[in-house]
Amino acid sequence: MALERYDALTRLAAHLPKDALMMSTYIGAVSFEWAAITEEHPQTAQLGQMGDVIGMAVGLALALPHRKVACLDGDGSVLMELGQLVAMGQEAPDNLVVFVIDNGVYESIGSGKSGPRATATSGRTDLAALARGSGVPYAVNVDSAEALETELKLAFSQKGCRFINIKVPPGHARVPPRQSDGFESKYRFVRHVEALEGKQILHLARQDRQLMKK
Amino acid sequence: MLNDAAQSALAGLKEAGIDFVSGLPDGWQRNLHELIDADPDIRYVPVCNEGVGFSVCAGAWLGGRKTALIMENSGLRVAAEYIARISLGCGVPVVLLLSYRGDLGDTEHWSIPHAIVVEPLLKTLRIPYQVVRHRADLRATIKRAHRLAEAQLHPVAVLISGDCIWED
Repeated sequence: MALERYDALTRLAAHLPKDALMMSTYIGAVSFEWAAITEEHPQTAQLGQMGDVIGMAVGLALALPHRKVACLDGDGSVLMELGQLVAMGQEAPDNLVVFVIDNGVYESIGSGKSGPRATATSGRTDLAALARGSGVPYAVNVDSAEALETELKLAFSQKGCRFINIKVPPGHARVPPRQSDGFESKYRFVRHVEALEGKQILHLARQDRQLMKK
Repeated sequence: MLNDAAQSALAGLKEAGIDFVSGLPDGWQRNLHELIDADPDIRYVPVCNEGVGFSVCAGAWLGGRKTALIMENSGLRVAAEYIARISLGCGVPVVLLLSYRGDLGDTEHWSIPHAIVVEPLLKTLRIPYQVVRHRADLRATIKRAHRLAEAQLHPVAVLISGDCIWED
Protein backbone atom coordinates (compact mmCIF):
# COMPACT_ATOMS: atom_id res chain seq x y z
CA MET A 1 0.00 0.00 0.00
CA ALA A 2 1.27 3.44 -0.94
CA LEU A 3 2.56 5.67 1.82
CA GLU A 4 0.18 8.64 2.25
CA ARG A 5 1.63 12.05 3.02
CA TYR A 6 -0.30 12.59 6.25
CA ASP A 7 0.92 9.22 7.51
CA ALA A 8 4.51 10.11 6.55
CA LEU A 9 4.27 13.47 8.34
CA THR A 10 2.76 11.85 11.42
CA ARG A 11 5.67 9.41 11.55
CA LEU A 12 8.18 12.25 11.07
CA ALA A 13 6.59 14.23 13.91
CA ALA A 14 6.70 11.18 16.19
CA HIS A 15 10.46 10.73 15.61
CA LEU A 16 11.48 14.42 15.66
CA PRO A 17 13.40 14.98 18.92
CA LYS A 18 11.95 17.65 21.19
CA ASP A 19 15.24 19.54 21.22
CA ALA A 20 15.64 19.50 17.42
CA LEU A 21 14.73 22.39 15.14
CA MET A 22 12.74 22.14 11.93
CA MET A 23 12.80 24.43 8.89
CA SER A 24 9.61 23.95 6.92
CA THR A 25 7.79 25.28 3.92
CA TYR A 26 4.87 27.53 4.84
CA ILE A 27 2.81 27.17 1.70
CA GLY A 28 0.46 24.50 0.54
CA ALA A 29 -1.37 21.57 2.07
CA VAL A 30 1.85 19.98 3.33
CA SER A 31 2.43 22.97 5.60
CA PHE A 32 -1.16 22.88 6.87
CA GLU A 33 -0.86 19.18 7.64
CA TRP A 34 2.47 19.67 9.45
CA ALA A 35 1.04 22.61 11.42
CA ALA A 36 -2.01 20.54 12.42
CA ILE A 37 0.03 17.47 13.42
CA THR A 38 2.54 19.49 15.47
CA GLU A 39 -0.03 22.01 16.73
CA GLU A 40 2.31 24.72 15.44
CA HIS A 41 5.00 23.86 17.97
CA PRO A 42 7.67 26.59 17.98
CA GLN A 43 10.46 24.15 17.17
CA THR A 44 9.33 24.51 13.55
CA ALA A 45 9.96 27.65 11.51
CA GLN A 46 7.38 27.77 8.75
CA LEU A 47 9.11 30.47 6.71
CA GLY A 48 10.25 28.99 3.43
CA GLN A 49 8.16 29.14 0.32
CA MET A 50 9.48 27.93 -3.03
CA GLY A 51 13.16 27.34 -3.65
CA ASP A 52 14.48 28.62 -0.33
CA VAL A 53 13.62 26.06 2.36
CA ILE A 54 16.68 23.82 2.05
CA GLY A 55 18.95 26.85 1.73
CA MET A 56 17.63 28.23 5.02
CA ALA A 57 17.97 24.81 6.65
CA VAL A 58 21.63 24.68 5.58
CA GLY A 59 22.23 28.10 7.15
CA LEU A 60 20.43 27.10 10.35
CA ALA A 61 22.40 23.85 10.59
CA LEU A 62 25.71 25.67 10.12
CA ALA A 63 24.71 28.29 12.71
CA LEU A 64 23.92 25.61 15.33
CA PRO A 65 26.26 22.69 14.57
CA HIS A 66 25.60 21.03 17.94
CA ARG A 67 21.84 20.77 17.35
CA LYS A 68 19.89 18.42 15.07
CA VAL A 69 18.21 20.39 12.30
CA ALA A 70 15.51 18.87 10.10
CA CYS A 71 13.93 20.31 6.99
CA LEU A 72 10.55 19.73 5.36
CA ASP A 73 10.06 20.69 1.73
CA GLY A 74 8.09 19.70 -1.34
CA ASP A 75 9.26 18.51 -4.78
CA GLY A 76 8.06 21.64 -6.60
CA SER A 77 10.02 23.83 -4.21
CA VAL A 78 13.24 21.81 -4.48
CA LEU A 79 12.98 21.80 -8.27
CA MET A 80 12.63 25.59 -8.36
CA GLU A 81 16.17 26.08 -7.00
CA LEU A 82 18.48 23.13 -7.46
CA GLY A 83 21.44 25.26 -6.33
CA GLN A 84 20.24 24.62 -2.77
CA LEU A 85 21.30 21.00 -3.18
CA VAL A 86 24.77 22.14 -4.23
CA ALA A 87 25.07 24.29 -1.09
CA MET A 88 23.87 21.34 1.01
CA GLY A 89 26.31 19.00 -0.69
CA GLN A 90 29.28 21.34 -0.45
CA GLU A 91 28.77 22.17 3.23
CA ALA A 92 27.31 18.76 4.17
CA PRO A 93 26.43 19.70 7.78
CA ASP A 94 26.39 16.45 9.75
CA ASN A 95 23.50 17.71 11.90
CA LEU A 96 21.13 18.25 8.94
CA VAL A 97 18.49 15.90 7.58
CA VAL A 98 16.23 17.06 4.76
CA PHE A 99 12.86 15.41 4.13
CA VAL A 100 11.12 16.10 0.85
CA ILE A 101 7.50 15.14 0.30
CA ASP A 102 7.53 14.21 -3.38
CA ASN A 103 4.00 13.78 -4.69
CA GLY A 104 4.97 14.53 -8.28
CA VAL A 105 2.42 17.32 -8.73
CA TYR A 106 1.84 21.00 -8.03
CA GLU A 107 -0.99 20.10 -5.70
CA SER A 108 -1.47 23.48 -4.02
CA ILE A 109 -2.63 25.17 -7.22
CA GLY A 110 -5.64 22.88 -7.35
CA SER A 111 -6.77 20.40 -9.94
CA GLY A 112 -8.45 21.11 -13.28
CA LYS A 113 -10.34 18.84 -15.66
CA SER A 114 -7.08 17.15 -16.66
CA GLY A 115 -6.09 16.50 -13.04
CA PRO A 116 -3.19 18.01 -11.11
CA ARG A 117 -0.26 19.52 -12.99
CA ALA A 118 2.78 17.25 -12.88
CA THR A 119 6.23 18.25 -11.59
CA ALA A 120 9.39 16.94 -13.22
CA THR A 121 9.60 14.14 -10.66
CA SER A 122 6.59 12.55 -12.35
CA GLY A 123 8.82 12.35 -15.40
CA ARG A 124 12.50 11.46 -15.54
CA THR A 125 13.85 13.59 -12.69
CA ASP A 126 15.11 11.88 -9.51
CA LEU A 127 15.64 14.26 -6.57
CA ALA A 128 17.73 11.81 -4.54
CA ALA A 129 20.02 11.31 -7.54
CA LEU A 130 20.30 15.09 -7.93
CA ALA A 131 21.19 15.41 -4.24
CA ARG A 132 23.87 12.71 -4.54
CA GLY A 133 25.24 14.38 -7.66
CA SER A 134 25.37 17.66 -5.75
CA GLY A 135 27.59 16.10 -3.12
CA VAL A 136 25.06 15.17 -0.43
CA PRO A 137 26.69 12.14 1.24
CA TYR A 138 23.47 10.16 1.80
CA ALA A 139 20.35 10.52 -0.34
CA VAL A 140 17.57 7.97 -0.83
CA ASN A 141 14.04 7.63 -2.14
CA VAL A 142 11.51 5.89 0.10
CA ASP A 143 7.95 4.89 -0.78
CA SER A 144 6.80 2.68 2.09
CA ALA A 145 6.10 3.13 5.80
CA GLU A 146 8.70 0.50 6.63
CA ALA A 147 11.47 2.19 4.64
CA LEU A 148 10.55 5.58 6.11
CA GLU A 149 10.66 4.21 9.65
CA THR A 150 14.15 2.82 8.99
CA GLU A 151 15.38 6.19 7.67
CA LEU A 152 13.76 8.13 10.53
CA LYS A 153 15.46 5.95 13.13
CA LEU A 154 18.83 6.39 11.40
CA ALA A 155 18.41 10.13 10.85
CA PHE A 156 17.62 10.92 14.47
CA SER A 157 20.01 8.49 16.13
CA GLN A 158 23.16 9.19 14.12
CA LYS A 159 25.14 12.11 12.76
CA GLY A 160 25.26 12.60 9.02
CA CYS A 161 23.99 14.90 6.30
CA ARG A 162 20.98 13.13 4.83
CA PHE A 163 18.41 13.72 2.10
CA ILE A 164 15.28 11.57 2.36
CA ASN A 165 12.89 11.89 -0.58
CA ILE A 166 9.50 10.49 0.39
CA LYS A 167 7.44 9.40 -2.61
CA VAL A 168 3.70 9.75 -1.94
CA PRO A 169 0.59 9.86 -4.12
CA PRO A 170 -1.23 13.21 -4.52
CA GLY A 171 -3.99 14.00 -2.07
CA HIS A 172 -4.29 15.79 1.22
CA ALA A 173 -5.87 15.28 4.60
CA ARG A 174 -8.76 17.39 5.83
CA VAL A 175 -7.08 19.74 8.28
CA PRO A 176 -7.75 23.42 8.97
CA PRO A 177 -5.51 26.01 7.32
CA ARG A 178 -2.62 27.22 9.47
CA GLN A 179 -3.54 30.31 11.48
CA SER A 180 -0.18 32.12 11.56
CA ASP A 181 1.75 33.92 8.82
CA GLY A 182 5.50 33.94 8.22
CA PHE A 183 6.14 36.87 10.55
CA GLU A 184 4.42 35.18 13.48
CA SER A 185 6.18 31.90 12.80
CA LYS A 186 9.52 33.72 12.69
CA TYR A 187 9.02 35.47 16.04
CA ARG A 188 7.77 32.26 17.66
CA PHE A 189 10.68 30.24 16.31
CA VAL A 190 13.36 32.82 17.16
CA ARG A 191 12.07 33.17 20.73
CA HIS A 192 12.20 29.37 20.99
CA VAL A 193 15.81 29.31 19.73
CA GLU A 194 16.74 32.12 22.14
CA ALA A 195 15.40 30.09 25.07
CA LEU A 196 16.92 26.83 23.82
CA GLU A 197 20.36 28.30 23.14
CA GLY A 198 20.41 30.93 25.89
CA LYS A 199 21.26 33.73 23.50
CA GLN A 200 19.65 36.89 22.22
CA ILE A 201 18.82 37.04 18.53
CA LEU A 202 16.31 39.83 18.18
CA HIS A 203 17.62 43.36 18.39
CA LEU A 204 17.12 45.45 21.51
CA ALA A 205 16.82 49.17 20.82
CA ARG A 206 19.99 50.87 22.10
CA GLN A 207 18.20 54.07 23.19
CA ASP A 208 15.61 52.09 25.14
CA ARG A 209 18.32 50.06 26.88
CA GLN A 210 20.14 53.21 27.95
CA LEU A 211 16.92 54.80 29.19
CA MET A 212 16.04 51.82 31.37
CA LYS A 213 19.50 51.76 32.96
CA LYS A 214 18.88 55.17 34.53
CA MET B 1 39.23 46.24 -4.95
CA LEU B 2 42.04 48.30 -3.50
CA ASN B 3 43.64 46.55 -0.59
CA ASP B 4 42.87 49.26 1.94
CA ALA B 5 39.23 49.19 0.81
CA ALA B 6 39.07 45.44 1.40
CA GLN B 7 40.68 45.88 4.82
CA SER B 8 38.21 48.65 5.67
CA ALA B 9 35.28 46.44 4.64
CA LEU B 10 36.58 43.50 6.68
CA ALA B 11 37.03 45.76 9.71
CA GLY B 12 33.44 46.98 9.29
CA LEU B 13 32.09 43.44 9.17
CA LYS B 14 34.04 42.40 12.25
CA GLU B 15 33.21 45.50 14.28
CA ALA B 16 29.54 44.98 13.40
CA GLY B 17 29.78 41.51 14.90
CA ILE B 18 29.04 39.83 11.59
CA ASP B 19 30.23 36.25 11.96
CA PHE B 20 28.59 34.50 8.99
CA VAL B 21 29.12 35.53 5.37
CA SER B 22 27.92 33.93 2.20
CA GLY B 23 28.83 35.03 -1.27
CA LEU B 24 29.61 34.46 -4.88
CA PRO B 25 33.02 35.91 -5.76
CA ASP B 26 33.21 38.70 -8.32
CA GLY B 27 36.13 40.47 -9.94
CA TRP B 28 35.98 43.62 -7.85
CA GLN B 29 35.57 41.97 -4.44
CA ARG B 30 37.69 38.86 -4.95
CA ASN B 31 40.31 39.91 -2.41
CA LEU B 32 37.61 40.71 0.17
CA HIS B 33 36.23 37.18 -0.26
CA GLU B 34 39.76 35.86 0.31
CA LEU B 35 40.20 37.92 3.48
CA ILE B 36 36.84 36.77 4.86
CA ASP B 37 37.48 33.15 3.97
CA ALA B 38 40.79 33.30 5.86
CA ASP B 39 39.34 35.04 8.91
CA PRO B 40 38.90 32.67 11.88
CA ASP B 41 36.02 34.69 13.35
CA ILE B 42 33.78 34.50 10.29
CA ARG B 43 32.08 31.39 8.87
CA TYR B 44 32.31 31.82 5.10
CA VAL B 45 29.90 29.88 2.87
CA PRO B 46 30.63 30.13 -0.84
CA VAL B 47 27.62 29.52 -3.08
CA CYS B 48 27.05 29.19 -6.82
CA ASN B 49 23.94 31.35 -6.83
CA GLU B 50 23.22 34.56 -4.89
CA GLY B 51 19.63 33.52 -4.19
CA VAL B 52 20.84 30.43 -2.38
CA GLY B 53 23.38 32.58 -0.54
CA PHE B 54 20.57 34.80 0.71
CA SER B 55 18.54 31.79 1.92
CA VAL B 56 21.61 30.37 3.71
CA CYS B 57 22.22 33.73 5.44
CA ALA B 58 18.56 33.98 6.46
CA GLY B 59 18.66 30.52 8.01
CA ALA B 60 21.86 31.33 9.86
CA TRP B 61 20.29 34.53 11.25
CA LEU B 62 17.37 32.48 12.60
CA GLY B 63 20.00 30.43 14.43
CA GLY B 64 21.54 33.52 16.01
CA ARG B 65 24.34 34.47 13.61
CA LYS B 66 24.94 37.99 12.26
CA THR B 67 25.05 37.67 8.51
CA ALA B 68 26.14 39.37 5.30
CA LEU B 69 25.91 38.42 1.63
CA ILE B 70 28.66 39.59 -0.72
CA MET B 71 28.05 39.70 -4.46
CA GLU B 72 28.29 41.64 -7.69
CA ASN B 73 25.37 44.01 -8.25
CA SER B 74 24.11 41.60 -10.93
CA GLY B 75 23.58 39.10 -8.11
CA LEU B 76 20.89 41.26 -6.61
CA ARG B 77 18.65 40.29 -9.53
CA VAL B 78 19.16 36.61 -8.71
CA ALA B 79 18.74 37.12 -4.97
CA ALA B 80 15.69 39.36 -5.39
CA GLU B 81 13.31 36.39 -5.54
CA TYR B 82 14.39 35.15 -2.11
CA ILE B 83 14.78 38.62 -0.59
CA ALA B 84 11.13 39.20 -1.52
CA ARG B 85 9.93 35.86 -0.22
CA ILE B 86 11.94 35.80 2.99
CA SER B 87 12.49 39.41 4.00
CA LEU B 88 9.40 41.12 2.62
CA GLY B 89 7.42 38.02 3.60
CA CYS B 90 8.77 37.34 7.10
CA GLY B 91 11.21 40.14 8.08
CA VAL B 92 14.76 38.77 8.16
CA PRO B 93 17.83 41.07 8.14
CA VAL B 94 20.95 40.42 6.04
CA VAL B 95 23.60 43.03 5.17
CA LEU B 96 24.25 43.13 1.42
CA LEU B 97 27.66 44.13 0.07
CA LEU B 98 27.37 44.85 -3.64
CA SER B 99 30.06 45.89 -6.08
CA TYR B 100 28.76 48.72 -8.29
CA ARG B 101 29.70 47.31 -11.69
CA GLY B 102 28.88 49.76 -14.46
CA ASP B 103 29.90 52.69 -12.26
CA LEU B 104 31.76 55.63 -13.83
CA GLY B 105 35.11 54.32 -14.97
CA ASP B 106 34.04 50.75 -15.69
CA THR B 107 35.43 49.51 -19.01
CA GLU B 108 33.20 46.43 -19.49
CA HIS B 109 30.13 46.71 -21.69
CA TRP B 110 28.47 43.74 -19.95
CA SER B 111 28.45 45.61 -16.66
CA ILE B 112 26.18 48.42 -17.93
CA PRO B 113 22.85 46.63 -17.28
CA HIS B 114 23.99 45.85 -13.74
CA ALA B 115 24.30 49.57 -12.97
CA ILE B 116 20.98 50.40 -14.64
CA VAL B 117 19.01 47.89 -12.58
CA VAL B 118 20.60 47.87 -9.13
CA GLU B 119 19.30 51.06 -7.49
CA PRO B 120 15.71 50.83 -8.82
CA LEU B 121 15.62 47.20 -7.71
CA LEU B 122 16.87 48.06 -4.20
CA LYS B 123 14.11 50.67 -3.97
CA THR B 124 11.52 48.16 -5.18
CA LEU B 125 12.64 45.73 -2.47
CA ARG B 126 12.45 48.56 0.11
CA ILE B 127 16.13 48.10 0.92
CA PRO B 128 17.88 51.23 2.22
CA TYR B 129 21.35 51.62 0.70
CA GLN B 130 24.40 53.82 0.53
CA VAL B 131 26.95 54.19 -2.27
CA VAL B 132 30.42 54.36 -0.70
CA ARG B 133 32.71 56.76 -2.58
CA HIS B 134 35.55 57.06 -0.05
CA ARG B 135 37.04 53.70 0.72
CA ALA B 136 37.92 54.59 4.29
CA ASP B 137 34.15 55.03 4.83
CA LEU B 138 33.46 51.37 4.16
CA ARG B 139 34.13 50.35 7.76
CA ALA B 140 31.64 52.76 9.36
CA THR B 141 29.05 52.36 6.59
CA ILE B 142 28.96 48.58 7.00
CA LYS B 143 28.58 48.92 10.77
CA ARG B 144 25.72 51.38 10.35
CA ALA B 145 24.09 49.21 7.69
CA HIS B 146 24.12 46.29 10.10
CA ARG B 147 22.62 48.35 12.93
CA LEU B 148 19.74 49.46 10.72
CA ALA B 149 19.20 45.96 9.29
CA GLU B 150 18.83 44.53 12.81
CA ALA B 151 16.50 47.35 13.84
CA GLN B 152 14.19 47.09 10.83
CA LEU B 153 14.51 43.29 10.36
CA HIS B 154 15.10 43.78 6.66
CA PRO B 155 18.24 43.94 4.50
CA VAL B 156 20.35 47.06 4.11
CA ALA B 157 22.79 47.38 1.20
CA VAL B 158 26.25 48.91 0.85
CA LEU B 159 27.25 49.63 -2.73
CA ILE B 160 30.99 49.56 -3.32
CA SER B 161 31.71 52.14 -6.01
CA GLY B 162 34.52 52.39 -8.55
CA ASP B 163 36.27 54.81 -6.17
CA CYS B 164 37.03 51.80 -3.95
CA ILE B 165 38.48 49.93 -6.95
CA TRP B 166 40.74 52.39 -8.79
CA GLU B 167 43.31 54.99 -7.75
CA ASP B 168 42.82 57.32 -10.75
